[in-house]
Amino acid sequence: MHDKIQEAFGQIHATDQMKHAVSDYLAQNTYNTEKKPASFQLRPLLAVCALLLICFKFGSWYLWETPISYVSVDVNPSIELALNRMNHVTKANGLNKEGQILLNHVSLKGKNYLNAVELLVRCDAMQPYLTDNADLTITVASSNADQLISGLKESVVTEQYQGMCRRANMDAVESAHKCGMSLGKYQLYQTLSEYDTNITPEECHHMSMYQLHELLLDYETATDPSNNDENSADAATNPPGNDEHSKDTDTEHSFNNDNSKDTDTNHSITNENSYEVEEDCGHHGDHCHKNH
Amino acid sequence: MRSEEEVNQAIELYADMIRRICFLHLKNHADTEDVLQEVFLKYVLHSVAFKSREHEKAWLIRVTLNLCKDLKKSLFRHNTIPLDVLSEEAASVMPEQLEVLEAVLSLPSKYKNVIYLHYFEGYTAREISMMLHKKENTVYSLLSRGRKLLKQKLGGDSIA
Repeated sequence: MHDKIQEAFGQIHATDQMKHAVSDYLAQNTYNTEKKPASFQLRPLLAVCALLLICFKFGSWYLWETPISYVSVDVNPSIELALNRMNHVTKANGLNKEGQILLNHVSLKGKNYLNAVELLVRCDAMQPYLTDNADLTITVASSNADQLISGLKESVVTEQYQGMCRRANMDAVESAHKCGMSLGKYQLYQTLSEYDTNITPEECHHMSMYQLHELLLDYETATDPSNNDENSADAATNPPGNDEHSKDTDTEHSFNNDNSKDTDTNHSITNENSYEVEEDCGHHGDHCHKNH
Repeated sequence: MRSEEEVNQAIELYADMIRRICFLHLKNHADTEDVLQEVFLKYVLHSVAFKSREHEKAWLIRVTLNLCKDLKKSLFRHNTIPLDVLSEEAASVMPEQLEVLEAVLSLPSKYKNVIYLHYFEGYTAREISMMLHKKENTVYSLLSRGRKLLKQKLGGDSIA
């Protein structure tokens, strides 16, 4: 059997054609282009991966990082929140020293705007500022301002802390940033500057919301023809925005004491109207003032 | 990667052996050519040095058997109509030897391998067991049964 199988299989040979085909195949697939197939397969794969990564990054940035709304919370601490499309906080910025200190106590990034504002208002570090003479003002600049303000109106910010919700134009955001002010203060500055062209953003920046409201009330009382002569005379002898008044604003107590009776009255009015949303206050000083 | 000269030498030495193993398992020249090319491609890219010629030969046998098995497993190959490999060889093989080849090819794969490796390549049962990853006793059994089957097919006298 051994010999027969030897003889039979001995007849089977690889033909020269087969050997040449093997040599040609190896020449084509190894010696000349050994590493090309791998690189050719890898290159488009890498390109697709890179493209997907870019799309993912851009998509997440577009959805999560691009600020489309701004909410400023002003008492004396001034804080501005930038919101993304999902109304989540992408950036919280302290616009004065008090605001910056306050932000060290709370982490707002990534939170829903309502939660963020409530957290801010309720935090222990904020409580010393929320005195009887404090005006908590929430200013919203957004294409979706109605919805944001509506949410704020139903929150503890207005119901418990008597915060006032205002609306601002998106254009005001850039102008406020240029002045280094929050939206809320910038709006009041704009209104005040209609009465006193000498008033500067720096002056307003250093005043609390309560002081700004008081100052505004002062100007309006002085310019309101329906007021009695005595008040008009007082206002005339103490023209708003001049150097003397700047001194007054530096000493908060004297400023407040001078107007202590008015302040009490104002607060009762404020409380009654605290749920109202004031629209376009920054551009319509009269409308803004009616609610105080 | 192995040098071109080294590969050409291997082709001269082992192409016939690979062709014969393909002959045992595959149905036509085209498949045989495919396996030949793939075996030598693997050989070129196999960077580990062989301890000896015998080691190299055993490696090539193992690779060839695996590739034949893979080729037979593919669904596409199952659905194609095989050409009769013997008819392709008929012109170059004498009638008596053709009968032996037909008898071997008609055996189940497990017998064909051990019969070929033992009777043609001269491997012992122990070497075959290591090469095919089978127990030595299994190889003995396969050899015994394969031989018996061959005797039945070829007739007692011709195989004695």
